[in-house]
Formats: sequence, structure tokens, C-alpha cells
Amino acid sequence: MKEVIAIVRPKKVSATKEALELLGFPGITAAAVLGRGKQRGIAAEVSFAIEPELLSKGRSGGMKFVPKRFLSVIVENEQVEKIVNAIVKINQTAQVGDGKIFICPIDDAVRVRTGESGNPALN
Amino acid sequence: MKMIRAIVRPEASDAVTEGLEEAGFFSLTKINVFGRGKQKGITLGSVHYDELPKTMILAVVDDKSVDEVIKIVKYKAYTGNFGDGKIFVSPVEDAVTVRTGEHGL
Repeated sequence: MKEVIAIVRPKKVSATKEALELLGFPGITAAAVLGRGKQRGIAAEVSFAIEPELLSKGRSGGMKFVPKRFLSVIVENEQVEKIVNAIVKINQTAQVGDGKIFICPIDDAVRVRTGESGNPALN
Repeated sequence: MKMIRAIVRPEASDAVTEGLEEAGFFSLTKINVFGRGKQKGITLGSVHYDELPKTMILAVVDDKSVDEVIKIVKYKAYTGNFGDGKIFVSPVEDAVTVRTGEHGL
């Protein structure tokens, strides 16, 4: 069992959810988070050019953290590649800030309603 | 690769993220969470607060950087009182950059 953690743009969440539902992963956990990556904040996320003299002033008090959505899906081992490919395909915009996907091992899962554990708890 | 989840005081989160930035760990995610620890919340006068607001800082780093990150968080989030928080380290098998589809950090 693996946990696929995807940190993506908020406006891509509904498209991602639809795609995951089509693939057969209706169950996800989502949270609104703030984050930053290699670009240290919003740097290249604006759609207009920033004047060079403003940039040369260094940190111009721009957004240090960018709002993102955190999606977590627990899937069986052999489905990890499928779900990662789907998330990558849907969320690509060719601009920085598309997000990251992390894959972490999960030892066990339990469905609270029935008490069943392991892979049956996922489906 | 390891995922470091540091649950710290909300007022300490800026100090922690700036400290990590100085050391070269820019990439991280912050989540506002509620939780409690060994002290079962806090009682002020006659009011008992069961769950206290905290900030969870989530960073994925290389194995060899784990100790450094923990040291920075420990130093920056320290006040000496109950409620300074906890740091959890868990394994991450793979990371994918969505824009390029590349594997690895």
C-alpha cells in the first residue's frame, strides 16, 4: 500500500478529482495548504513581466507562500504509476508551481465501519 | 528521501521557515492544524482547551539533510514550555515534479 501525496494548484483540483474518479479512485483527502518550492514563493507565477529594477531590490515583499491544495490518496502498490501519470498529465501547465507528488509507504489501513484491514479496506 | 513533519507553535512557524530558508531548504508546505499532546490540551482558569492550534510544516529532504533540518526546527521552535511541538520523520519512496514529470527532488 502506498500513499500518494500531491500538492497541486487549487484551480486544478476539480479536474484532478474527476480524472481520479474515472480511474477508480473516488476516495481522497484534501486540505488547503500554503507552500513554496525551488522558486521561493510566487516569483514566476505572475503573468506579467516584473521591472528589472524592482527585481534587483531583492525580496520585494512578494508572497512568501503560495496557496496550494494538498491531496492524499492511499492506493495499492501496482496502481501507483497509473495515478501518478494521471495527476502529472492533468496538472501540467508548463509554468513553475505545478506542484509535487510524493509516494510514501503505508503499512496498513483499517475501514472503521467494518473493521476490515489491508487492501480490502481500500476498495 | 524523508518527509519531515514538524508540528510547531503558529507563532514560531515564521522563525522556523526563515531558519530553514537560511540553511537552503526553501521547499516546504505549511498546514494549520489542531491537536493536543501529552498534557491533554491546556486548562486556563476554569476553561479547558482540548485541542490547540498548531502549524504543521511539511518538508521532504534527502536522507543526509534530515539531521540538519531537525536541528534547525528544534532550535527555532524552542521556548522550553509545554507545547513546543513534535517532529516526525517518515520515509518517502519517490517524488515527482508535475511540470516536468521528473522523478527525484
